[in-house]
Amino acid sequence: MRRLGDLEAEIMDRLWTWDRPATVREIVDDLNRTRPLAYTTVMTVADILHRKGMLRREKSGRAWSYRPACTREAYSAALMRDVLGESPNPGGALAHLVEQLTPEELAALRSALDSVDRGAPGDGPR
Amino acid sequence: MTAALALLGYALLVGALAPLPLARSGWAHRAPRLAVALWQALALSFVTALVLAVHHLAVPGVHLHLGLAGLMHVCGVDHPGSLASGTGWRLLLPAAVALWPLGRLAAALARTARHRRRHRAVLDLVAARDRDLGAHVLDHATPAAYCLPGRRSRIVLTRGALELLTDQQVAAVLAHERAHVTGRHHLARTAADAFAAAFPFLPLARLAARETPLLLEMAADDRAVRRHPRTVLAAAMYRVADGQVPRTAFAAGGPAALLRVRRLLAPAAAPHPALRAAAALASAAAPVLPLLVTCGPVLP
Repeated sequence: MRRLGDLEAEIMDRLWTWDRPATVREIVDDLNRTRPLAYTTVMTVADILHRKGMLRREKSGRAWSYRPACTREAYSAALMRDVLGESPNPGGALAHLVEQLTPEELAALRSALDSVDRGAPGDGPR
Repeated sequence: MTAALALLGYALLVGALAPLPLARSGWAHRAPRLAVALWQALALSFVTALVLAVHHLAVPGVHLHLGLAGLMHVCGVDHPGSLASGTGWRLLLPAAVALWPLGRLAAALARTARHRRRHRAVLDLVAARDRDLGAHVLDHATPAAYCLPGRRSRIVLTRGALELLTDQQVAAVLAHERAHVTGRHHLARTAADAFAAAFPFLPLARLAARETPLLLEMAADDRAVRRHPRTVLAAAMYRVADGQVPRTAFAAGGPAALLRVRRLLAPAAAPHPALRAAAALASAAAPVLPLLVTCGPVLP
């Protein structure tokens, strides 16, 4: 199961990097440079990604040609909104290091840091 | 009747009066893990007392017996003959009182797990796993560090955070996030939130939900500074906060980050062992205390 997940990530990674539509054959050939994988395995996983809405596809000849539904950046941005979003994670689903602060709070934080040993290994603000 | 009144009095004490000094106490921030345990114990104690009180009111004249028999009784698992036939429906009321917060908890656990699962599914496709760091690196310019707790946990740093922080700071931040995961902090957080959702007007519930997240952050800070310099973690927090978009409104819970940084920079001694022992004892005793109130020999 885990390996299927890894394969999903590898397929998405290739399509994002190539930045053009690609057939399963092209993906398999590239994956096979590092390890042997069956065509049907890759086809199945590409189909799963399509059903999840991560990949779009259109016919190119007799095969499907796949491309990512959104850019990698769009997904990263969505994850960040989830972490730092306006509705701070309901029920603490995600715990992040430090919440967003107001400029006043930041200044107070900085003066607290400044007041203890300057230039210590902590190497505070720039 | 006497027992029911005693239990209601106890519930009032635990639910409305005890939380006020605890929320104001100075020792909680010096022993955050213990304080979290005490909040959870008080919540459990409140629910137990309430269930037993309703049971006494709904099934008058039937005495609850100490320990397991009493618990089974409350759960509606009785050996035959202990209740007059046809009065079993009276147990529905105390059962409902018990199931109300439990249902809220189950729903909240399912909801947060689903939220994390969805987040993780995308994260695993987008972020690169860095074996040296033991974390996933998300290609985003905003500095951030967070964790997805639970089974198949993930610790995540953004590229922005890696660029902004020194190696030492990264190590301290990772230790903080790892402490959340290994300490299963998300369970205490979800339980406190669910308790507040079940009893929205109860001071105990409101204050426990307000204090628990901050106490858990402090507990993770404490764990991280066992192996990393305090100033390093404090500086990392500042840098990350400085690199994010500033908030326009103050956070609901107050200046939590400021409390944490001041605490990191000027550590106070742990509370006196006697106080720690008392708090630990109270945490252990509180959930079963209501059973003793009703079933002890004091109240016939």
